[in-house]
Amino acid sequence: MTTDRLTPPAADGAAPSAPIPDPGRHLTAPATRSALRIQQQLLFSAREFLRGEGFTELLPPVIGPVTDPGSRGSKQVDIDFYGHRYKLMTSAILYKQASLLAFDRIFCVAPNVRLEPLETAGTNRHLAEFHQLDVEVAGASRDDAVALAERLVVHMVDSAVRTMPKDFAELGRDTDAFAELLKGSFGRMRHAEAVAELRDAGHPQSPDAELDWTGEALLSARRDRPFFVTDYPKGSRGFYDLEDPARPGFLKNFDLLAAEGYGELCSGSQRTNDYAEIVTRMRETGENPQKYRWYLDLVREGVPGSAGFGIGVERLTRYVTGLDAVWQASAFPKVAGVVSP
Amino acid sequence: MSDLSAPGFPEEQVRRRARAGAAAAFPPPDAYGTVLFGAGGGAGGRYGAGGRDPLDALRIVPPVFMPQRLARLIDLGREPDYRDVELTTPIGGFVSPLPVYVSALGSTRAAGGDLGLALARQAGALGLPLVIGENVVPVDGYGRLGEAVDRALLGRLRAYAGELPEGRGGIAVQQSTEDADAEVWNLVYSDPAALPLLESGRLAFELKTGQGAKPGLGGMTVLDAASAARLGDRYGLDDVLDGGRVLRSSTPGTFTAEILRQQIRLMRNNFPRARVWVKLHPGRDVAEAARVAAGAGADAVTVDGAEGGTGWAPDAFPAEVGLPLAECLRRLAAAGPPPCLLVSGRMWEGGRAVKSLALGARAVGLGRAALLAAAEDPEAGLTRFAECLALELRMLISALGKYAPAALDRDDVWSPEFSGITAGG
Repeated sequence: MTTDRLTPPAADGAAPSAPIPDPGRHLTAPATRSALRIQQQLLFSAREFLRGEGFTELLPPVIGPVTDPGSRGSKQVDIDFYGHRYKLMTSAILYKQASLLAFDRIFCVAPNVRLEPLETAGTNRHLAEFHQLDVEVAGASRDDAVALAERLVVHMVDSAVRTMPKDFAELGRDTDAFAELLKGSFGRMRHAEAVAELRDAGHPQSPDAELDWTGEALLSARRDRPFFVTDYPKGSRGFYDLEDPARPGFLKNFDLLAAEGYGELCSGSQRTNDYAEIVTRMRETGENPQKYRWYLDLVREGVPGSAGFGIGVERLTRYVTGLDAVWQASAFPKVAGVVSP
Repeated sequence: MSDLSAPGFPEEQVRRRARAGAAAAFPPPDAYGTVLFGAGGGAGGRYGAGGRDPLDALRIVPPVFMPQRLARLIDLGREPDYRDVELTTPIGGFVSPLPVYVSALGSTRAAGGDLGLALARQAGALGLPLVIGENVVPVDGYGRLGEAVDRALLGRLRAYAGELPEGRGGIAVQQSTEDADAEVWNLVYSDPAALPLLESGRLAFELKTGQGAKPGLGGMTVLDAASAARLGDRYGLDDVLDGGRVLRSSTPGTFTAEILRQQIRLMRNNFPRARVWVKLHPGRDVAEAARVAAGAGADAVTVDGAEGGTGWAPDAFPAEVGLPLAECLRRLAAAGPPPCLLVSGRMWEGGRAVKSLALGARAVGLGRAALLAAAEDPEAGLTRFAECLALELRMLISALGKYAPAALDRDDVWSPEFSGITAGG
């Protein structure tokens, strides 16, 4: 059963979304073309940057016996693989860690499918099908990953701004908005500090949970360049984020939030690669270790410690192009509950 | 057969084991699906020869002087009577017309099919919160892509929500380890049929750490060979029963304080608009587990009092395993109970319910009683049963000079044997 409507409802506090037009109108709209051209440039420059840094690009799997469980409230898609229940990938995380057995520095542009809760149809920030620019580095720390994500985003935005002025003009996006971003030195705050700032602003953010969508947008609207939120509490993330040995209960992870109210662009962490720790954390996240057999067998034999992140390609495109909704940054958008091609 | 005998020894039970082997650890498999198992309230069983359930052994003791009756008299301007007891009770984020909810209906045969639907419909019409048990989705499906809707989760959800009065009731959906593989919570949370419940704050997810009928073990049912073949990749199947029947076991799941705490936090993180309920078996550390659950933000903590169920249990469990519910309540009260404590275990009449409320519970769960009532009359059996229970509750509570379930306290019950309960009044 699906909700047969073309206009996503507005979430609390969000501006009502524009209706999704039919595919013909959407694909031929000048704004769509400009957004997709800028997206292409962002990906081109990311590949350029990462290959220059010694990364190998892999093609990630689309299906597998198990996928990333750590997606807030969304449902995975089951498929019948010759009588075995397989999943469409919600993220490439398990394969990213495994790939480090072949190469020390890898990246991929991974398609993800997450049947998000219906309430996300109105956030302007969620797609049921989207892509992540996934990066993983063996032997890296959380801080290494944060630094890499910052340099990568600066490079991507700089490249798009320099090479695509006509498309920015077509979209009416003033590239002066990136003046601070292009200087680098993104801000950084701990999750607990973000919670305190939100509570001071009258927003009832839970200290034990991820920043909610309204909270992210609030913090984001108060900043003039992207910023990192680090040290999320355990219980808000998947089993693969490393618990900080120096601060039990907190994870060595991060999100990158855009400026101007656009919210989260990227999530990452230092990973745990200790078998017993991973099994215990699986239980803490309500998972059944049995279904992660292939992954746990690899971990037991030894996968390198690593850190990495995934940048939401459509979200970054939306931020850079200044579009109202993330679906506008997709050629064939899928929004929760909305029937579309 | 020899002519050897052993007077005074459980000779027949030993001989049954010698004949049937491992199957003799269970009740006769023919009884599965038609007999609701569990502890009786009478002599024998878990409380020893001649023993009584300590909760049943308590007496409800009205005082002579009743200041709360005076307050109600002043409020009403006339003498209050039992009809002035207000039974409406907040339960785990929901509102119920009685301090009562309907306990888990799982994938078992007794709770399946038309009976499960009839029960869901009547509970909905009454506005009583309903817990939908574990294993329904992996065993019977969700009902969205063509499975038989009467058994599937969606069928029960629709039957309940279709009758639900405004502002009353709510559904709590359990998820076991096997359900987690089927992502039951994620499925319900993103389903259009559940949206009205979610938007009106009437959807909860119940994390189950164990069950009363067999503390320390997971859910068990009896399957025929064909059903067993269908579920073999998801459940532990054990060929210990006779007659082509197979024992299906869920895993109980592994919990430590940290695992429980983090699972609750993850539920709150992933499903921010759903309430979080936690169900505990009557474990010896029940007070500590309840403290951890409440501290992590559970909206309700349920203690299932080792009494019975619709599934299957080895005979040793109802007879010999788990703390009595009264002892659970004593330990919880001593440690400071969770803000919303729910209890179940052989609840069916007002006396046992009032004693539980007096010892600190917010509400009591109907399990076998609700199923039997719906079986007696699928149209109105539970409705009439609830009328009778409500009347008894009103009479008992008003007899104590009180006019709301929340006003009950431990002075309202007395026992010469039950340590920790003082003579009151």
